[in-house]
Amino acid sequence: MKLTGPLERVLRVLVADPAAQHYGYDLMKAARLPSGTLYPMLARLQQDGLVDSEWEEQRPDAGGRPPRKYYRLTAEGARVARLELARAPAARGPSRHVAGRPAHGMPGSAT
Amino acid sequence: MSGTRPVQRLAERLIRSACGRLPADERAERLREWTAELHAILDDESLRPSWLRGLRALAFCAGISRAARQLSRLAPASPRPAGSSRWRSGALRTGPNDMAVRVAVGIGVYAVVVAGVIAVLTTHPDPRGWPFLLLVALGIGFDGYCLADIARASQVRYLPKWAWALICLTQTPAGGIAYLCAGRVGRTPSAPPGPARQP
Repeated sequence: MKLTGPLERVLRVLVADPAAQHYGYDLMKAARLPSGTLYPMLARLQQDGLVDSEWEEQRPDAGGRPPRKYYRLTAEGARVARLELARAPAARGPSRHVAGRPAHGMPGSAT
Repeated sequence: MSGTRPVQRLAERLIRSACGRLPADERAERLREWTAELHAILDDESLRPSWLRGLRALAFCAGISRAARQLSRLAPASPRPAGSSRWRSGALRTGPNDMAVRVAVGIGVYAVVVAGVIAVLTTHPDPRGWPFLLLVALGIGFDGYCLADIARASQVRYLPKWAWALICLTQTPAGGIAYLCAGRVGRTPSAPPGPARQP
């Protein structure tokens, strides 16, 4: 996996709360990415088994809005993302405060 | 909110047209996903004034169009249909979503090319001069490019591959332009999607 700038931003958003459900527009806003970059990236991550998706259950109180598709890191995805982010060069723009943080909880990081 | 309705209709049409590029088994799901995202954008109260939501929705659609092109390349290459070879394959029949645009672009490009050729030939009528030879070289190069593209493509639209190749060869600028505008499906995945690489 080659950690590009946009990929790094998406992974940071996803890793910040690995249990959280994100839908596409949510990720676009949080990672400040256009849809043309985000969806192919998510598809690639999903193909590699790092991200999985599920459909929102239709609730009667949703006000008739269509169900959303939610994305979330898999366990493997969370592990790989932390590893990659920890390895990311510290000097990459304003997000350097996270890069200085030691990678936490990486069993079997020798892979 | 009065201005959102036409925008929403337009955006939904754009998304549907983008989904037409996707492999058939992904189309319905992506359409549902992206339509839901569109609703989320148009209902986003944090975007003010409300016309900003419409703008954002259209920007979203432009991105979706790019994303669909990339996703169709990402999809695992479908095996060639039986009996298809480098020059014979079943023509892919898909709905002409943006056919009007393709035809308009094709005619426009053709008009520009013809105007250019006429301009060159009227100012330099000598058939042995370099402008003439340059035109011939460009024609041959363009034909070669189109043939190479047809040979590489896994599928083409409307006509079988050999027919497109014949048209490209016999109608030099027009046939190639027609193929690129109408018959071309988009790039085929050049490399099979790699397996998950471990860091």
